Amino acid sequence: MPPIEASPGTGTAVIETAGLTKVYPGAVTALDGLTVSFAPGVTGLVGANGAGKSTLIKILLGLAVPTSGHARVLGRDCATSGEAIRTLLGYMPEHDCLPPDVTATEFVTHLGRVSGLPPTVAKERAAESLRHVGLHEERYRLIGTYSTGMKQRVKLAQALVGAPRLMLLDEPTNGLDPAGRTAMLELIGRIGTEFGISIVVASHLLGEIERICDHLVAIDGGRLLRAASITSFTQASQVLAVEVEEGLARLQAELAAHGLAAAIQRPAQNGGAQPGSGQYGSGQSRTLLVPLRGDDTYDVVRDCVAALALPLCRLEQRRHQVEELFRDDDDEEEARYA
Amino acid sequence: MSEVRAAGVIHDLGYRGYDGPRLGRAQIVRALTWHSFRSAFGLGRGLKGKIVPVLTFIAICLPAVVNAVVVARGGTRLFGYDVYVPTLRVALVTVFIAAQAPELVSRDLRSRVLPLYFCRPLRRGDYPLAKFGALTGALLILIEVPLLITYLGTIASAKGGSAIWAQTRALIPGLGVGLMWAVLFSALGLVLACLTGRRAYSTGIVAITCILTFFLALLLTAAEGGMTATATGARIAGLFSPFTILDGVRVWLGGDPQTGLVADPGRYGPLYGVLAVLLLAACLGGLAARYRKASQA
Repeated sequence: MPPIEASPGTGTAVIETAGLTKVYPGAVTALDGLTVSFAPGVTGLVGANGAGKSTLIKILLGLAVPTSGHARVLGRDCATSGEAIRTLLGYMPEHDCLPPDVTATEFVTHLGRVSGLPPTVAKERAAESLRHVGLHEERYRLIGTYSTGMKQRVKLAQALVGAPRLMLLDEPTNGLDPAGRTAMLELIGRIGTEFGISIVVASHLLGEIERICDHLVAIDGGRLLRAASITSFTQASQVLAVEVEEGLARLQAELAAHGLAAAIQRPAQNGGAQPGSGQYGSGQSRTLLVPLRGDDTYDVVRDCVAALALPLCRLEQRRHQVEELFRDDDDEEEARYA
Repeated sequence: MSEVRAAGVIHDLGYRGYDGPRLGRAQIVRALTWHSFRSAFGLGRGLKGKIVPVLTFIAICLPAVVNAVVVARGGTRLFGYDVYVPTLRVALVTVFIAAQAPELVSRDLRSRVLPLYFCRPLRRGDYPLAKFGALTGALLILIEVPLLITYLGTIASAKGGSAIWAQTRALIPGLGVGLMWAVLFSALGLVLACLTGRRAYSTGIVAITCILTFFLALLLTAAEGGMTATATGARIAGLFSPFTILDGVRVWLGGDPQTGLVADPGRYGPLYGVLAVLLLAACLGGLAARYRKASQA
């Protein structure tokens, strides 16, 4: 067995699976030949409920045995080196997992001990982990007196206490209000970028994940739907939405004459899902989507609108939502990451 | 960007990783055992958690203190080391495991902490092993300390080395019986307590199992002619409760049949021995199976 301190290898995948299949008793297929690799950094693992996210995490932790296929975490085989892998992993479960009648410090210290830290180190790291998640002042309170947001932070702190190389976070924003979600995501992003810890965030909320991830892995029905680098893709696909009250076709022609291939935004399928989409019941679109190439794109749009003297309502930069990203099939990134 | 991360550059925010030595699995299990052992006596818990273990401990030590006083005033030792005060010990061991076995296992089930243990470098059997070790240790304190107090109280007034030696020789089988009790009742208490995360229920299950079986065995013994009877029915009546099974083993191994909880098992003695081993194996097997299932959930 390789020593635990061995480097996972700079730049290589932190998680690799090959043909991973898990069939539960009763012929329930949770994973169906999943082959995917996770690069270092923050990776979003997205999929609907029941897509197989939690099963994948259990196999990676060495807690569930795959029916067939292989999984490697930080260069070690999950089936044979479960303990060594778990020493390097921090796991934050989806559900509540905190006893109400102990203080956060005691609890996190205890779990630090179970992670294999010597007593004094466990104490230090528990205090530090709680400070990093923003619970320094409240750490001597009983966990039962905490708000949902604070409990989520304790869950994150216990994953951090063992000085992991990789963290698996299962739905970390569960049960939080919008402000709490933003704060939690910022915290996770900070741990990923500044603490040097690779992170896999499982979520069914694509829009959230998008904010902090470098890469996305989408699974559905236990199969890989798509694996892609989110930054490179969204940078390439930024668009400018131009909403005018009339003369949409004229503007499109004018922009085409200036070398900008603008598309009329199709009417939204689920009405009102996207604010400012320019739909007012008529089904008639008033918005053009212009590919954003740089600052000069704004100038061209401004000049065209001015030249035609059109009533401009809205001019906004828009990023593709993750849903679209994964629906768009002819994406060259796919070949690179799949 | 990714090279920076992989190299683990430390930023001013103050996060420090840890590359120092880590404890092996055996030491982690020991740490978990010690933590559980402390909580079996309510240490590290609130005042409420200490009430039952402390009161039980004081109550079980009282006869030993009384014995010391009686011996000091010229009396003889009040009870055998191998039986102590049998019914009191049955009652207090029942109270202790009914209250503290759920403290060790139901609490973690209730708050669903188990995944946090199983995602750490432990094997699936380690958690129940640590809990078993912890409760066995706690029961050893509860059962053996009164015996030691009795011993010290008796030899304090003993005259001559031979008297002390006689007491010591009587004490050793007593400690052995205490060990049997601690091991079996720890396994029994845990396997019953881990059936449910609802603490009140698991306390009830443990208490009712202990009390009902004990009275069943007592009633059967009485119906078959009582403690001094030699009929087959009386000899095997003790097989119906864990307390009387262990007492049957004690008598089989040479203990005094007049002072315990059962009629002399006679030639059925080995049956008591086999049943005690089977019961222990069943409890430990059930415990292991319970946590094998839990680690996958």
